[in-house]
Amino acid sequence: MPYLGSEDVVKELKKALCNPHVQADRLRYRNAIQRVIRHMTQGLDMSGVFMEIVKASATVDIVQKKLVYLYMCTYAPLKPDLALLAINTLCKDCSDPNPMVRGLALRSMCSLRMPGVQEYIQQPILNGLRDKASYVRRVAVLGCAKMYNLHGDSEVDGALVHELYSLLRDQDPIVVVNCLRSLEEILKHEGGVVINKPIAHHLLNRMSKLDQWGQAEVLTFLLRYQPRSEEELFDILNLLDSFLKSSSPGVVIGATKLFLILAKKFPHVQTDVLMRVKGPLLAACSSESRELCFVALCHVRQILHSLPGHFSSHYKKFFCSYWEPHYIKLQKVEVLCELVNDENVQQVLEELRGYCTDVSVDFAQAAIFAIVVVQTFRDLVWLCPQCTEAVCQALPGCEENIQDSEGKQALIWLLGVHGDRISNAPYVLEDFVENVKSETFPAVKMELLTALLRLFLSRPAECQDMLGRLLYYCIEEEKDMAVRDRGLFYYRLLLLGIDEVKRILCSPKSDPSLGLLEDQPERPVNSWASDFNTLAPVYGKARWATIFKHQGTEHCGPKLPHTASLATSGHLISEENKERVQELQDSEALMLVPSCQLTAEYFEKTWLSLEVAHQQVLPWQGEVHPDTLQMALQVVNIQTIAMSRVGAQPWKAYLGAQDGAGCLFLTELLLEPENSKLQISVKQSEKRTEILSSFISVLETVIGTIGDMKS
Amino acid sequence: MIHSLFLINSSGDIFLEKHWKSVVSRSVCDYFFEAQERATEAENVPPVIPTPHHYLLSVYRHKIFFVAVIQTEVPPLFVIEFLHRVVDTFQDYFGVCSEPVIKDNVVVVYEVLEEMLDNGFPLATESNILKELIKPPTILRTVVNTITGSTNVGDQLPTGQLSVVPWRRTGVKYTNNEAYFDVIEEIDAIIDKSGSTITAEIQGVIDACVKLTGMPDLTLSFMNPRLLDDVSFHPCVRFKRWESERILSFIPPDGNFRLLSYHVSAQNLVAIPVYVKHNISFRDSSSLGRFEITVGPKQTMGKTIEGVTVLSQMPRGVLNMSLIPSQGTHTFDPVTKMLSWDVGKINPQKLPSLKGTMSLQAGASKPDENPTINLQFKIQQLAISGLKVNRLDMYGEKYKPFKGIKYMTKAGKFQVRT
Repeated sequence: MPYLGSEDVVKELKKALCNPHVQADRLRYRNAIQRVIRHMTQGLDMSGVFMEIVKASATVDIVQKKLVYLYMCTYAPLKPDLALLAINTLCKDCSDPNPMVRGLALRSMCSLRMPGVQEYIQQPILNGLRDKASYVRRVAVLGCAKMYNLHGDSEVDGALVHELYSLLRDQDPIVVVNCLRSLEEILKHEGGVVINKPIAHHLLNRMSKLDQWGQAEVLTFLLRYQPRSEEELFDILNLLDSFLKSSSPGVVIGATKLFLILAKKFPHVQTDVLMRVKGPLLAACSSESRELCFVALCHVRQILHSLPGHFSSHYKKFFCSYWEPHYIKLQKVEVLCELVNDENVQQVLEELRGYCTDVSVDFAQAAIFAIVVVQTFRDLVWLCPQCTEAVCQALPGCEENIQDSEGKQALIWLLGVHGDRISNAPYVLEDFVENVKSETFPAVKMELLTALLRLFLSRPAECQDMLGRLLYYCIEEEKDMAVRDRGLFYYRLLLLGIDEVKRILCSPKSDPSLGLLEDQPERPVNSWASDFNTLAPVYGKARWATIFKHQGTEHCGPKLPHTASLATSGHLISEENKERVQELQDSEALMLVPSCQLTAEYFEKTWLSLEVAHQQVLPWQGEVHPDTLQMALQVVNIQTIAMSRVGAQPWKAYLGAQDGAGCLFLTELLLEPENSKLQISVKQSEKRTEILSSFISVLETVIGTIGDMKS
Repeated sequence: MIHSLFLINSSGDIFLEKHWKSVVSRSVCDYFFEAQERATEAENVPPVIPTPHHYLLSVYRHKIFFVAVIQTEVPPLFVIEFLHRVVDTFQDYFGVCSEPVIKDNVVVVYEVLEEMLDNGFPLATESNILKELIKPPTILRTVVNTITGSTNVGDQLPTGQLSVVPWRRTGVKYTNNEAYFDVIEEIDAIIDKSGSTITAEIQGVIDACVKLTGMPDLTLSFMNPRLLDDVSFHPCVRFKRWESERILSFIPPDGNFRLLSYHVSAQNLVAIPVYVKHNISFRDSSSLGRFEITVGPKQTMGKTIEGVTVLSQMPRGVLNMSLIPSQGTHTFDPVTKMLSWDVGKINPQKLPSLKGTMSLQAGASKPDENPTINLQFKIQQLAISGLKVNRLDMYGEKYKPFKGIKYMTKAGKFQVRT
């Protein structure tokens, strides 16, 4: 019905609204207006009857008034000249004896959102601030913010701000919270509302009188306050104590964050608070509301970064229940991976193994789920070698469910590294080799090459034939340069003899330096406390974002599988760099697009038109091997546009890359061997400093690694 | 904070929108639709979707997505809780919350939303206060309104707005003064193949319906308050008193409210009231499989288990099932592969069972996965944790109220793996 025949409807309604018989009959009149509103809510353009509706505003019927005001707030920006006619009625209503009418009129007037209305609303708002009914005061206080937003660039009215600050002492709790909200908007250019000591303590004392929304917001505002002394700090923490037990998870998390921030110099207080919210958090993780569950799980993961053992005794709470939605299962599997310790590793693996063959009608869902599980296996093997055996037993049977490139890479990696213990590993890999022509992801092919070469070292008889076929395919038929280069590299490596291959490929199968998760380097609580109770933990690392992304951008950015494939292919990126790359992806959202094809002409043109955004010098010894550099850069999706030949002095290279948002990074490498320095100059098509710095650190990592390899 | 709200049905139509600040174009929902398409099932749409200029936070209830559009960084729990409150309010107002009902009452819906949020900030969200601002539609009132032409809007300001106790209105009067408390416990559990418990926990709530005149001050004490280690309270409960004496002391809101919710998760304290004996086998050679399950009582403290239903998702390879129940009715949907068995009451003398064969896809290898069984049940007059109310006293008013306590245990997410 919406969008169709709106003209006829408007015409008909117009007729009805103008009809004096209808106007005389209160009910019929109101029904006609109701129909207008109904159409309006369905997205039909009802601005045609504006004149008629304005006339209807002069009424004693409060429902009719409400409807008319609702209509006007929607269409006033479209018909400002007509809306001015209604202002008179609105102004009159602002001094109606009924506080509800006063509040309603004031709220509507402030929401008109049309130019020129300011001069009319100023006086009613000021009157409203002193109204005896708290309902009107609440509206008036928020009205101040609306008025300020209408003004746009105008100066902040000092007297008004002062009045709002004094209303923080109002006896009505919602007026108090509204004052904070309003001041925050009005003063946003000056850093928002100022929370000084008297205000902070006043708010703290009023906390228990506020509703849960007010409490949650005041907790956020209080983050700005710095207690003067230790004594004061602990007084505040005492006052806040009961909110850690609130029935609203939002208040609990808000209070937790405030504790963490206030006590940033007292790690034991932070730990203690995290201990105490463990219960409420776990409760939220099994809440009836899926959405709350999900957000709570995200916060659990955040806490685990600092206190890896924190939830270990409750690991069973994170076992997936069959009927849970997908995004919760994914979060839970990730939490489980982070919870593993010596005692529960067996049970957790047993549980994860069950997930791989989860009964589900929705095949795609099952598959994605299996991928995450397999990726978890890989991370587990990497981090804690003890569970290798169990993972090897769990693997057979998983391959059927895995369709996606990242899952395939994880599975192939596992098969390659631990193939000597998985009896059917060569056969599973053979399937992949058979189908390599139809494989669309270069990263999978590269992973397959590495894995098969590895498996060849431990089980030569079973693998020789297919390794030959795969190398032939990659070198002769493959179109992707990176895959071809990798093939050629391995082929030449094989020519050097098996010992050389072993030396390059048999890097550690797990990272003993990380050891058990218990020994994992813990991030200090303060590093994430400011992200707590924001959207950051929810979308920042959430795996669903990577899984649900477009096919086209399937493998953008330096993400885990890439770094894993790097780490596995020998010394290309050493272990500590793997860490660094991982940290990078956690902290910001730099996503380099893999298929960025810049032509040399375009590059040159852009290069000349841009300013240098960043320049730095790195130490460098000896010559450059262009192939190695190009390959390493390719892995992190940086394209090499042009390069001097080997041995040229000075040696230069031009690199290009593009991130998901279309921002270009153009780079010049300049090597002057005599002073053993490599100078990097980066130009950026859009000025975005945080992305720039992450791009530079990616570049640094790659160059640093190659430098290390040579020395 | 909350810029706009869109209501979207499962087929992806926006059927209601409301903006509290400037109007955000409907096209922002395209990102949501994309996620909806990818998710294949409505339940799987992620609750937080970032778009270039906004965040979309949604909750999915009653087959409707309530999508809030956010422009700045906000505490996600705050928004999600608020959206749930909106749904609860609709449910409270209209009895059910569904697309047709919302469309029928669109004007009331708009009025309610207008009072719940101003400039994107939550204002009146307590249902008893809202109901005084905007009266809920009832069949009777609709008829009366049509005849007399009176309105749905209260002419008076809610008195609660002026009360010193923000959750209770002043001047409450009842001829019959009564206070009812329902102790409701739900068991969430995962039981493994062999019948041993993998995880089990009890989620309990005490819901109250208090209709008392004046400003009553109540105290509620338990026989065994130590059971409650992880509790959260309605804002009316005096927290310090609970900390020191383990007594709930409060001035109650008027009408229905949730007094407290609690968790019991120490595994030795969670009794599992039912067991499922199962024998499900897919034979390799033939295209027939055997299926047999029996449900029986266990640790029920002598109470009857009723309202039992069994739900199970069978593997894809199962074409059909021919089963005979000893009681109740069962259905198997060959398309969704969902088996459901409505058992009813469990008679300990004659345990209900469901037996028969499954026909499997010929030639296909046997499914390597086993189905999970999802169980629903109810036990009246029992709080499975053993929680018991000791006494309820009233101070501050002179009359004698009528008091009542009811107990009930239900299955929450109760699943048995086979």
